Amino acid sequence: MKWFNIIRDRLRALRQRETVISEIDREMRSHVELQVEANIRAGMSPREAREQAMRSFGNVNRAVDAAYDVKGGGLLETLLQDIRYGVRMLAKHKAFTAIAVITLALGIGANTAIFSVVNALLLRPLPYREADRIVMLWEVTPGGRHQNSASRANFRAWRSQTSSYQYIAAFSYQRYNLTGAGEPEELSVQFATPDLFKVLGVDPILGRTFLPEDDGDGKPLVAVLSYALWQRRFGGQPNIIGQPITLNGVKYTVIGVMPSNFQFHMNQRSGTGRPPDLWSILPMPLDGNERGRFLATVARLKDGITVEHAGAELRTIAARLSDEFPEFNKNFSAEVLPLREQFFGNVRRPLWLMLGAVGFVLLIACANVANLLLSLATTREKEIAVRAALGARRGRIVRQLLTESILLALFGSALGLFFAWLGIKALIAISPRDLVSLQSVGLNVTVLFWTLGVSLLTGIIFGLAPAFHISRLNLNDSLKEGGKSEAGHASGSRRLRNALVVSEIALAVVLLASAGLLIRSFIHLQQVDRGFQTDNILTMVVRLPESYREDPQVIGFFSQALEKVRQLPTVRSAGIVNFLPLYGGMGSSTGFKILGQPEPPPGEGPSCDVRVVDADYFPTMGIPLLRGRNFSRPELKEPRHVILINEALARTYFSGTEPLGQRLDVEMFDTPQPAEIIGVVGNVRYDSLIDESPPAVYFPHPDLTYSFMTLVIRTDGEPAAIAPAVQREIRSIDPNQPVSDVRTMNQVMSEWVSRSRFNTLLLGLFAAIATLLSAVGIFGVMNYSVALRTREIGLRLAVGAQPRQVLLLVLRQGLLLTIVGVVLGLVAAFALTRLLSGLLFGIGVVDTTTFTMISILLVIVSLLACYLPARRAMRIDPLRALRYE
Amino acid sequence: MAKNKAELLQGTLDMLILKALSLGELHGYGIIQRIRQLSDEMLNVEQGSLYPALYRIEQKGWVSARWDVHDTGREAKFYKLTRTGRKQLETEEASWDRLVLAIAKVRQAT
Repeated sequence: MKWFNIIRDRLRALRQRETVISEIDREMRSHVELQVEANIRAGMSPREAREQAMRSFGNVNRAVDAAYDVKGGGLLETLLQDIRYGVRMLAKHKAFTAIAVITLALGIGANTAIFSVVNALLLRPLPYREADRIVMLWEVTPGGRHQNSASRANFRAWRSQTSSYQYIAAFSYQRYNLTGAGEPEELSVQFATPDLFKVLGVDPILGRTFLPEDDGDGKPLVAVLSYALWQRRFGGQPNIIGQPITLNGVKYTVIGVMPSNFQFHMNQRSGTGRPPDLWSILPMPLDGNERGRFLATVARLKDGITVEHAGAELRTIAARLSDEFPEFNKNFSAEVLPLREQFFGNVRRPLWLMLGAVGFVLLIACANVANLLLSLATTREKEIAVRAALGARRGRIVRQLLTESILLALFGSALGLFFAWLGIKALIAISPRDLVSLQSVGLNVTVLFWTLGVSLLTGIIFGLAPAFHISRLNLNDSLKEGGKSEAGHASGSRRLRNALVVSEIALAVVLLASAGLLIRSFIHLQQVDRGFQTDNILTMVVRLPESYREDPQVIGFFSQALEKVRQLPTVRSAGIVNFLPLYGGMGSSTGFKILGQPEPPPGEGPSCDVRVVDADYFPTMGIPLLRGRNFSRPELKEPRHVILINEALARTYFSGTEPLGQRLDVEMFDTPQPAEIIGVVGNVRYDSLIDESPPAVYFPHPDLTYSFMTLVIRTDGEPAAIAPAVQREIRSIDPNQPVSDVRTMNQVMSEWVSRSRFNTLLLGLFAAIATLLSAVGIFGVMNYSVALRTREIGLRLAVGAQPRQVLLLVLRQGLLLTIVGVVLGLVAAFALTRLLSGLLFGIGVVDTTTFTMISILLVIVSLLACYLPARRAMRIDPLRALRYE
Repeated sequence: MAKNKAELLQGTLDMLILKALSLGELHGYGIIQRIRQLSDEMLNVEQGSLYPALYRIEQKGWVSARWDVHDTGREAKFYKLTRTGRKQLETEEASWDRLVLAIAKVRQAT
């Protein structure tokens, strides 16, 4: 009953404040009248009676207030009052509000944008059932290369010998040509053992996924479609289940379709990793290639089993396999990786760094707005003093000012959400492909809550110091005439203000240092000696289907294709290779033996990358022939057991001796097949721009006839222009043959550096915003300082100081602030840039040149920012200044 | 029963107001007069203290209020004890008596 009454009264008061007050008033007046009557009855004159009554009643208004405190709107009402008042205040000082809101919007918006990426990639659960139970299993090579694919034999061993997993499945990728109704299209197909969908725990929207019965010799081939493929190629027709489709000339039956948000994809660094369009059963015949390492393994942990436990178990099994089958597994280990780590492990650090950086930007924005508030305070002194004199407690005033700050922050965040929305679109547009393909990034409820929290926090951060400071003003002074008293509050305020500006500059220095390091690192990356050229080269991948059974067919197709392409106008040369440099996939490292040298113990022999080319590949890519000769025409038609090696292999395994004429037996074949080294070619950065080129062997196409090869074509002028013509030539040989991954070599390079470029752009943007905000901050502080000291400056000028001296005075003051800020910032930068170590290339985390350059930059910027206020100081008319009180 | 000093004071005032009203309906001014009367002029409640206390009591449901015209023709807001209020008065008086007894015992110790 009591609560009901209280709430009823409060709500009534909110709605009908006037009514409640007037009713209380009415009761008070009636009380007074009754007292007056009693006084008159006691014998006083009417006037005496009323005076006495009023006196004994005391301050009517205070009584009304006290009474209203009980009946009135309470906390909610004062809050509403504060808000109304705050809005009026902000509307009155339009310029201040506009600048503050925009500044806050920049800071909050940037934070929201970055957080939404962090949320989508690092925080939001993956789209699989209980995704934190899903792990990837990998081999670890003796050389320490992690996330190495497993062999079939090892996968079988893992499957039978582990007890940590509910389900375990292996998969690999292939490109298959889809023919039939419509254009031939190359699809990305994921071949997997039947338990894959059980591991992931996702149900199809149509039909079914794999059953164990689907696997086995002679069973009909089945396919599960991705949603995108189903819509794009089959028009989303609901009766697709049971329909046949033709892949690489073989019939498959569609048994299911996956939901539209389903994705399961191992990202590879370059664009060759396309999300799968289709899933089918991985054939694992016992007599097949048991030793080749090309399987990825995914599994679902049993309840209660930890990742550590599973990892230990797998390592034990790997050690056992290393002992049991040393010629193949010696010194190989294994590892277990949670799925989220697999997908996003390599972006976690940079993303958190970005969030930190953007947090700095927000702090700088807060400092600026706090300074703005302090400057505004002097204008509002009188108003606040009046409120205090009327009885407002200090806490109430602080609350009022904080409410204004939070209002500012909320407005800023509303505009900031708009900036964030734009920013997210831009982020997605410029980000490396592998970063955003998996999860969609956007403004969702979590992000909005985050934004709200950040705005409230921001409002409190930048509002607290000014609020306390202002409420502490010596109000008596301000109520007297000539309110802009410099002594007293101005010095305290000046210290606070300078402190804010110095911290802004320090933060900006840290951001600039980081951005500078990233920029120089990126430049170094571009300048690395790649070993090959990138201008005017077009590339595309051609994968021949299984209908090309015999090697001569494959060799014939490619040599015919090359002949035709070479005839095209503007084509200077054309060649083929199995994998482009920087194509981003996993290296195929294979052991080899040098004939005539003693055999090394198993597991410790030399290994090399294996590449397959034709002779024109090297001149097309600008790779120099250093010694010996290139492949001859007969050697490009039939296997003649000759190879080229690169300089790294020559240096590593033939230092001091002559490689030409020696023979190598590369373990790619079922029987030993020694080949003679006929030449040495230049090194090429292959896996990455950063790592040195590994030793490599080049086979001519007839010796190792892959049916998928990459065409490289050098043109005069724009390479992309002849792509359609090339495709036409290919189709003129085989009308059903598609091409894929059509890119210029410059695009390949660009994609490879895209991650680095993304980080650099982003951090550079933040640093630029930070510098701009700091400049605005310095400008504001110096401007305000000059305004405050108008009288003092006028005095100086009046007694004979040169205007130039005044200019220098102001500049000196600004310079001092800047230098203190820069020094503090450099100290912080020394400590913090080590966090960037994973992102840098060719440059240390503490690079003197970079740090020096940005310090100079910041000093110049702040001198520029001080220039206008300094000029204003110079122009002060001493007479007016002195008269102006 | 433990209360702090402010609550003690407040509780006492509430009890006085309830007691005053137990003898009949009154307006605010009348409550002050009656308390003065009953206490032989020793207790003089300030208007500034009375009304907040009165409103609080009203919120708690111990009294109900209505506007009416005083005998002299002036209007006034009259307060009346409710049944809950009457019970509350008994409780307050009992706990006050206990308090006085306890304090007396302490004072008797030599």
